[in-house]
Formats: sequence, structure tokens, C-alpha cells
Amino acid sequence: MTHLKKSHLLIGVGLVWITLSRIFQGNQTLELATSENTSFTSSVGDAAASIRGNRTKSAAFIYFFNPIRAAITGFVEIIRSIISVPSGNSIIPVIGWFGVVAIVAFTVYATSRLRTAILAVSLLLACGALGMWQFTMDTLAMTLASVLLSLLVGIPVGIWAGRSDRVLKILTPFLDLAQILPTLVYLAPLALFFLIGTASATIATMVYSIPIAIRITAHAIRNLNQSPIEAALSMGSTPTQTLTKVQLPMAKQMIILGINQTVMAALSFVVIAALIGAPGLGKPVVDALIIRNVGQGFVAGFAVVFVAILLDRSTSAAAKAQESFIPLTSQQIRRGRIKVGLSGLLAIASIFASRSVLSLAVWPGSINISQQVEDVTNHATKWITTNLYIFTVGFKDFISNWVLNPLETLLAFSPWFVTLSAIVFIAAVIGGMRVAMLATGLLTLIVLSGLWHEAMITLTQTIVATLLTMAIGITLGIWVGRSSSAEKVLRPFLDAGQTLPAFVYLIPMLGLFGPTRFTAIATGIVYSIPVVVKIVSEGIRSVPIAMIEAATVAGSTVRQIITKVQLPAAKRSILLATNQGMIFVLAVVVIGGFVGSGGLGYLVILGGSKPEMQGKGLVAGFAILLLGVTIDRIAQASARRT
Amino acid sequence: MVEEQRSASASSASAGRPPAVSVRGLWKVYGPNPLSIVGSPDATLSRSELRAKTGCTAAVSDVSFDVAPGEVFVVMGLSGSGKSTLIRCLTRLVEPTAGEVFLDGEDISKATPQRLRELRRQHFSMVFQHFGLLPHRKVIDNIAYPLEINGMKKAERHARANEVIELVGLHGYSHAFPEQLSGGMQQRVGLARALAVDPQVLFLDEPFSALDPLIRRDMQQEVIRLHRELGKTMVFITHDLSEAVKVGDRIAIMRDGAVVQIGTPEELVALPIDDYVANFVRDIAKSHVLTLKYLARPAQSDEDMDGPELAANMIIRDAAEIILQTHKPVRVSENGKFLGIVSSEDVLRLISGVA
Amino acid sequence: MKFGLKRRIAAVSIIAAGALVLAGCSSSVNDSADSASGASECGSWAIAMHAWNGYTASGQVVAEIAKANGCTITQTTLEEAGVTYDAMEAGSIDVVIEDWGGGRWKEWVDRGAIVEVGDNGNVGLIGMYVPPWMAAKYPDILDSANLNKYADMFKTSDSGDKGAWYEGPPGYTTIGEKMISANKLNFKAISTGSEAALVDVLTKAEANKTPALAYFYTPGTLFIKIAGLEQSRVKFPANDWSDAAKASGLTDYPETALKKLASKKLMDSNSVFATIVKNFNWTNADQNSVSADIESGMKPEEAAQKWIDANPDKVKAWIGS
Repeated sequence: MTHLKKSHLLIGVGLVWITLSRIFQGNQTLELATSENTSFTSSVGDAAASIRGNRTKSAAFIYFFNPIRAAITGFVEIIRSIISVPSGNSIIPVIGWFGVVAIVAFTVYATSRLRTAILAVSLLLACGALGMWQFTMDTLAMTLASVLLSLLVGIPVGIWAGRSDRVLKILTPFLDLAQILPTLVYLAPLALFFLIGTASATIATMVYSIPIAIRITAHAIRNLNQSPIEAALSMGSTPTQTLTKVQLPMAKQMIILGINQTVMAALSFVVIAALIGAPGLGKPVVDALIIRNVGQGFVAGFAVVFVAILLDRSTSAAAKAQESFIPLTSQQIRRGRIKVGLSGLLAIASIFASRSVLSLAVWPGSINISQQVEDVTNHATKWITTNLYIFTVGFKDFISNWVLNPLETLLAFSPWFVTLSAIVFIAAVIGGMRVAMLATGLLTLIVLSGLWHEAMITLTQTIVATLLTMAIGITLGIWVGRSSSAEKVLRPFLDAGQTLPAFVYLIPMLGLFGPTRFTAIATGIVYSIPVVVKIVSEGIRSVPIAMIEAATVAGSTVRQIITKVQLPAAKRSILLATNQGMIFVLAVVVIGGFVGSGGLGYLVILGGSKPEMQGKGLVAGFAILLLGVTIDRIAQASARRT
Repeated sequence: MVEEQRSASASSASAGRPPAVSVRGLWKVYGPNPLSIVGSPDATLSRSELRAKTGCTAAVSDVSFDVAPGEVFVVMGLSGSGKSTLIRCLTRLVEPTAGEVFLDGEDISKATPQRLRELRRQHFSMVFQHFGLLPHRKVIDNIAYPLEINGMKKAERHARANEVIELVGLHGYSHAFPEQLSGGMQQRVGLARALAVDPQVLFLDEPFSALDPLIRRDMQQEVIRLHRELGKTMVFITHDLSEAVKVGDRIAIMRDGAVVQIGTPEELVALPIDDYVANFVRDIAKSHVLTLKYLARPAQSDEDMDGPELAANMIIRDAAEIILQTHKPVRVSENGKFLGIVSSEDVLRLISGVA
Repeated sequence: MKFGLKRRIAAVSIIAAGALVLAGCSSSVNDSADSASGASECGSWAIAMHAWNGYTASGQVVAEIAKANGCTITQTTLEEAGVTYDAMEAGSIDVVIEDWGGGRWKEWVDRGAIVEVGDNGNVGLIGMYVPPWMAAKYPDILDSANLNKYADMFKTSDSGDKGAWYEGPPGYTTIGEKMISANKLNFKAISTGSEAALVDVLTKAEANKTPALAYFYTPGTLFIKIAGLEQSRVKFPANDWSDAAKASGLTDYPETALKKLASKKLMDSNSVFATIVKNFNWTNADQNSVSADIESGMKPEEAAQKWIDANPDKVKAWIGS
């Protein structure tokens, strides 16, 4: 009954919206030429300029920002000089490539298994063979530095939030916000204070990954079996004793998983942070995007993928090794010690070798297949773009003409108050009054920022990409949720897909679709499908077997079971997946500013390049944040109401 | 026989000594402004009425009792009756809203955090329903944990832990990890850990509820044995009346946070204070609980008075065989004083539930 | 294989400690390398590499000459203007060899972070171009007044019912939107991310004989690759580059002398690299010859070296020896 009413209301809102849009088309759209500022954006620009002007003068810079920048740069440079860049007056790093491989092999071997160690070494060597050794080392160094600093902050704060409700309550809004905020938005404000370079990149990466470390650590502490903790208290343990002797040991595995997540987040951010001067694999990726060399992008992209798998596998294997507290027999322990001891000696010997033999210190230039990979990829891309032109461009044009343009007309080219009211109405119908009021406030702020039109362009692309993502994601999700063999086949891809930086996906899409809005949309789809499939399939799988058995006994067909039992029961998961999908898509769509998607992302990038546009860029970043929160709140509210 | 000796020892031990645990007017109210409920007329409302009116729940309301040194005091109640909250208030794992708890004469509700830790480390310890073992520690290090946090050296605490391991029958398991043990064995570790510090009072919170019935019976025997050997004062929480009867010197029956009746098993079975308690004890085999004192009656003129003499505090079940074999009524006396006689018909009537 | 985490961590730390101890000792590779490179004379410096074809040529030539003179040079790809200026202020970039920014650096120069080193000899000209086939077929299209007549031909799925006006990348000097509105053109500015995208648009349009209107600029090898492109520049009425004219959009892009920028740290040093940067000056033809080699598949290092080998006198003059 209410359901029927809801959909009627939505159709009603849609019809009124379309009608008003037709009548007032092109009026009051708040369109603003790219190079123009509103009084608000120019005052933000003035503020930014005055901050820039104060870099050499104000106490805040001299005693706070600049020292931090120097300290962090110094820290990162130490790590880089060990594995990546020449140290001191030497022409090689402290440890040459062979030594690095040996250290990775040993570390992974000592914390997990031989198989993982072999995988890690192969991946590392593959990065070298792709001609990406130095970039890979820079990425590892940046990731290592950011992760160490992030954990230094994140784990203690996470523990605190795990033990104190008040701390958690204060932190929660920030943690939630951090989950919504697209990566691109972090860069500009940090660059304003820490300039362009490794410090900004490291700090931005920390800002991005610390919330993840906090969240998982707090979760780990909070979700422990309470009974041993109560027992420990009853025996007179002090809070510190309870923490160190009971809670932390019990939460160890979960915290290591948190480290894994932190590492992956840091890695994906370090790649994007190339935009603000982070050394590493992000550079060739960005280069490839700028010069549109798909082959070169693939080479760098492969290296990023390899590093991602390397870091993911070795950290999650370390977590897995912690699953049981039960040790093996003393004989096995002894054998393990011997193995580790021997491989440790081998590692030390290798480090020595890498410092004395030039070919073990500097990756031999003769081992480089990057040109071949580049050629093959460029060839394939060329073949696809020439021969499948009809399909790729046809699909692009079809979606652009029949979905993207009409929706853009409706959202961005209706008068702003029509679109705003329509969104608020929809929010009220699907999410309730409270979220409608929140949406009104957030959208009004976007209007006041002066970037309403651009925000609606970005929203259009986000919606279109989300629709396509959900169409594909739900289908795959049902399949994976119902068939364990499908899960087996897709699981590695889903796992890998979640660990890759969004940036990497732009490259093949750029090759296929050129610099257009659709490239950003396609990238967004590819990037967000794994998370959607994961949530939907989990939802489908969590439908009680009894329900399905009952439906089967009643004589339902497979189709009826899916549509009448599993989908309705998994509705909440699907709504949550939509929410996650939209947030993921938004993050990519704004990066699409790089490849011609326009909208708010373009303004953010523009603001980085043109000092007179910095204000507008910063405001655009803020508008992205507002848009993200609006989307998230509406989607969450509608998921809650089901 | 065992029970008989135990209650005898408890009552004799208690004579003339201050109680080991003394609870006075204890309250635990959850909800807004909990203190306002304490002692107010609202406190007499039923739980749902109280919640509707004030938004508060009285988990423990105005509980008072004493536990004699060496006594096993059982708190019995259905789930939600407040017994778990009560035992946590006694150890201040849950802060009571009002009232006093004396352990050996010291009011622990006024103890500073430091003093409270000291008490917890040295004077009382607790056994938990879900064992509460540290999964990352071996059995021996679990048992040594309370000694460790007390600052005892490793060799010393392991030596003590090994003693307790022998005591609770965990020989050979000291290097196992909790997850390698069965539930019963895990609870033995829990018991050993509680005994490691040689506490004066042992609090047991439904220690055997999570165990299989057969293992539960073994563990009950184990507790009885330990009590006999060590003579510790115990406060034992359970929802199982037969368990309560088995291990308890005295039982407090709780309902909706309040104590309904306190008494020996015999008193509860013989003289339930209200229908609630009567209902509870209905399924208890009276012959297992009541003593001959309960059946003793004046002899009728036609009855033989030369049957054997039995003690009044003998459980009927234990006396039944003698009574039924003698063909004569037995004479029941307490401390040399004749109380009456019990015939085989009396016993049969009781066992068949007619009485 | 598994054994206690503590022991594993201990083992890993021992190795790490071992590595650090080793770091203390000098290694034979370093010793031999040190004496050969003589890096101390010039120092190590970073050149910003902007992502257009002409810049790659200039940047690479300067880098190769510097390396040959004992400098350690890092080439860092960065977006132009603001991002790069901030990087120079932060000390991570020392040279921009070709700046089109039209004075955006002033603030950094005033702050003493950047030194404007003067012209690099190249003259830039931005404009809106159609593929030469269109210029041949519709000669009047090169007058901006006639653009509207052909607007329909330029429609794409991205520009809707208006003609597509492919605008330059974010960091470039662009006033397309203003030109469109000031001249009341029935076009829509489509943002492109990069020079490569613009190259793509114009190359495809000429090859497939499809219409396109795109932002481009000299110097650049595209004009060599697409014969007649230089003559296919659409002319807009005025050519006044005053702030007012820029803001109004009633103007066309002017010819611009391209600049060299350097960090204060570099210019204050006595490094030979400072001299090279100060003296570097070449023509559009010079740049085009290197870009053309790169375009045809030669590696930038090789193309730069080829030009250096062919022009020893010029190079000698820049080094100042």
C-alpha cells in the first residue's frame, strides 16, 4: 500500500520536474563560465592568495607548516634513500634492487608462507622488468612512510575510540565524512599549506588512510568477546593491564587486517598524489593520461596492480597467520626458526651483494620489456578503436544522447530551484522528512557556493554511472550470490578490483572512449562494480535458506525465487550497494576532470593549475563534499527505511 | 551423605563469626535518574509498569542477605531476574545504584579503585558462565594471570599455577590453549584461575550453564569436592534449581530483581513462601531435599517404637532404604532429643507425591 | 611455516638492523661511482616536464646538456603554472624551460621563490583551428563571423545541439567560453584533458574528413604532421591582449614570447646548470626539429642528443665556456 503510494509520488515528482524543466529550460541555471568567479569563489581565492603570500612571513608557516613539511620530507627522503634514490654522494640507494628483493622475500617468508614470498618476489621482479623499478621503489617508500605515520596516529586513536564511547562519538562524523570524501578533494587544500611535493603527498595520504586505521582498530577493540575482559577486570587488572594483556592480544588479527586496509588505502592514494608531486608509479600513470599514451599507461598501471597485489597478499597473509593462537609442536617451531634464520642470513648476504655489485645495485637496463608491453597494448587499443569503433563510439553516443544529455538537461539546465525542489521531494519520499531537510540545507550551500550548475553536471554523470553500475552489479551480484562456482571465478577479480587505485582504470577507458564525459562514467562503472557485486551477493547469500526452501517446496521457478524471494529479502543490501556504488562513482567522476568530464572535478584541477582560479577550485572541492554527503545521506536514509 | 555433612559444617562454622559477605539494601536501577527510584513507592511497581512510568528498570531491587564463612550461598532465578547483575554488583563489575556490600566487614561499595583492585586480586575471585579465558594464553598462563598482574615472578606464579592445575584435575593440559579444550575442561581452567590467588570468597556466575548435562554433573561434583577440601565461601548463581539444591547450603530465589525467599533447600521445599516459589520447587523430588525431621510425627498407639534410630537431619532419600527394609517405623531424634517416628508408608507417600 | 609473531618481528628487526649497519659501511659501488660522476660540481636539480610535445623537446635538450656537464637532473612531470610554482617554492622543482603562463608567476617572483630568467627564444601562438580539408572546402569558415553558419556540422553527442569547441587543457591559457559568448557563437566549449586529446581530435578530423574546431598552438610538430594546419586558423576580429579585452572575450590569442623560470636557489648558486638555463635560447624551428624526431618514435634522450651533436656551437655558447 505505502509502497504503491511511494512509487506514484516519485512518478508524480518526475513528471512535474520534466514539465517545469521544459517550460523554463535554460533559465536560472546558475551557469558560470569556467574562467569566471563569483564573489564567493573570488574571496576564497583572495584568502588562498593571502595564505600563499604568507608562506614566507607568517608565524603559522614558519613555526608550524614549514617545520612539519621539512620533517616529513626528511622522513620520506630517508626511506627513499634506502631503497629508491641515490643516498648521499653515491649514485645508488643504500640497498640495491637485489637487496630489496631479498628483504621483501625474507619479510614475507618470515611472516607468512613460502608461496606468498615467491609471489611477492615475482611481482617485484615483474615491476622491474616493466622498467618501473625506481618508480616502484618510490611508491613503496611513499606507501611505507605514509602507513608508518598513519598507524602511529591511527592505532592509538583507534584504541582510544575503542575504549571510550565519548571519543568514538566525537570521531564518528569525521570518520563517516572520510568515507565519502573523494580522493581528489584532499589534494588542493593540503597543497595550499604544504606546497607541492612529498610532504603534501604524504600528509594527504595520511589524512586519507588514518580514518581507516582508526575505524578498524576501534572496531577490533569494541567487538571483542567481552567475557575475558570482564574476567580480567574481576581479577583486578588495571586498565593498562587489561589493554596490553587482554584486549590488544585478542584484537591482534583484526588490527593486522586494519593495517592491510590502511596499506591499500595509502597505496591507492599515493598513486593519485602524483598530482601534487608524490614520487612513484603515479607519475607515469599521470603522464600517460596527459599524453594519452595508453601503452605507457598500461605499463605503469600493471606495475601499480603488481604492487597492490604484493602489498595486499603479504599483509593479509600475515593476518591469516594470526588466526589461531595455537602454536605448532616444538619441532616445527625449531624448524621454522632454522628456516627463518637461514633465509635471514641469505637476505643479509644479498643486501651486501646489492651494495658491491653494480648489476645487483641498479636494475639492469637490458631487462626491460616495457617497450614490448607498450607496443602490444597500443596496437590492441588501436585495433579496438579502429575496428570496434562502431561499438565503443556507438555505445558512448547512445548513452550520451539518450541518457546522459536528457538527464543533464533535466538536472543542470532546469532552473536551480526546480531541480533543488525535485531532489528534496525525492529525498522526502524515499528517505523521510529529516533527510529532506538536510538535503535542502546541503543543496542550498551548493547554490550559495556559486557552483550549482557544475555540481549538477557532476551529479548527472554520477547518476548515469550508478544506474549502469547497478544494472551490471545487481545481475552479477545475483549470479555470484547464487552460484558458488561463479563466486570462485569472480572472487579474485572482485578482490583485486577493490585494491586498485581508481586512476589506473582511467587509462584503458581513455583508450576506448577518448577524452569525454563517458570515459569518466565508464571508469566509474568499472571501479565501483566490485564493491556493488560484493554487497549484493552477500545480501543474496544471507537470505535464510528456510525461506528459499519454503519457496521451492511451494513450486516456485528459479526466476520466481530470485524476483519474489531473494531480491526483496536482499533489498537493504541492494540499497546499501547503491549507496556505496554512488560514492565510489563520484570519486572517479571527479577525477574524470582529467580526461574531459568537466563538472566540479575539472574545476578542482583547474584550480591547481591557475592561481587565479584556486579559489574556485577549492570551492569546487567543497561542493563535491556537499554533493557526496547529500547522496550518502539520502541513500542511507532510504536504506534505513526498508 | 555429602550434603548432610556440608550443611552441618556450614552451620557450625557460621556460629559466632561475622558473615563473609553481607549485602544490605542493594539496588541497581538502569535508566534516567536511577537514584530517584530507590526506596520510592515506584519501586513496588511491576517491571513493565515501572518502565512505562519512569523509563527505568530495576535489575536489582532492595536485596539484603548474609553469607556465612564457608557457606555455599546460591542465588537462583530465571533469566532476567537480576541474578547476574546482582553478582556483578557484589564485585562492582557493575556499580550498584544504592546499598552496601560488606566483604569480611569491609564496605566494598566505598572502596577506592586501588582498594577495589587489591580486593579483587587477593580477597575474592570469580568464575564466569562463558569462562572468560584469554584465548592467546596457554592454560598455565591463564591460571597465572591473576598472579602475574599482582606482580608475582614467573617461576613463582607457574609453581602456584601448577598446584592449582593438579587441584582441579587439569594435569597434562598446562601447555594447551583454551580453544583446544572441551567446555568442561575450559571451566576447570576458569575454576583454577579463580582459586590461584587463594581467595576468601568465590563468586560463580552460572558456571556450568554452558555445559552439556553430563559434564555439568561432573563439574557440580567437582565444586562440591573443592568446597569440601578448601572450605571457601561461595556465592553461586544458577537458573537450575536442581543444581542449586545440589550445591547450595542456602538458596535465595530472585524474581524481577528482588529476593523472594531465602532458605535451605529443605525450607524452600517444605515451606515455600508463595506460589511463585512453590511452583519452582514443585518438580524437586522432595525425598532428595527433605530430612527426616520433615516426616517425623508422633507415634500412633499401634506402632512399634523399637525401630532403629536415625538422625533428624538425614535426607529422606538416604534414609529410605533403611526405613523400607526394617518393616518398623524408625525413630527420629535430633541431638539426642526424640522428634517422632517415620514409617515406610510415610516415605512411600512422600516419594509418590501424595503428601 | 609458522611461529610466534614476536619471534618473527624480532627476526625481521634483526635483518633491518643488519641493513642499517651495512648502510653505515661504504660500498664499493658507491666509491667507484663517486669519482666518476663528479656530481658535486653542478649539484642535483629538478626540471619540470610539462606534457606538451614542444616542452618535452626543450626540457630534454637542457637536461641532456646539464647531465653531460656533471649535473644530476631529475625530470618531474607536473601540471603547469600554479602546481609547478608551488613545487618550485617547496624546493622540489628548479626549472621551467617553457612557460606560457602570461605572468601568473608574478606572486612567486615577488615572494622571492622564483626568478624569471627571460625569454627562451620560442614564440607561441594559440588559436582555434579547423582541419585543413574544411579550410579548403569552406574558405569563409576561417572568419569567425561565419562560424555559426557551419555550427551544425560540429555537433557531437557531447555538445548536444551546439557545435563542439574543443578547448585547451585546464592549465593552458584559454578564453574560449568568453570568445563564444562575446561573438554569440552557437558553440559549446568541451574541456579536453591534454594536448594529446587535441592532437587526436584534429588528426582524426583531417584523416576522416570530419569537422572539428579545436584549440592548438605553435610551436609544435602537429603543423608538420598535418599539412596546411597552420593556415587553418580561424581569425577573430581584434587582437588586443589587454585584461579588459581578455575579460570581454572580444579578442584573439596573440603571439607570446615564451619564458624560462628558475628557483632562486638555482640562480643563487654558481652551478653550471644556472648558466645553461640562463643562456638557453632557441628558435621554433630548433624545437620543432627535436619534437619531430620524438614524434616519429625516437626516444626523447636520443632526439635531444641528436640535436646537441648537430649544434655544438649553440650548446657551447649556453655552457658559457
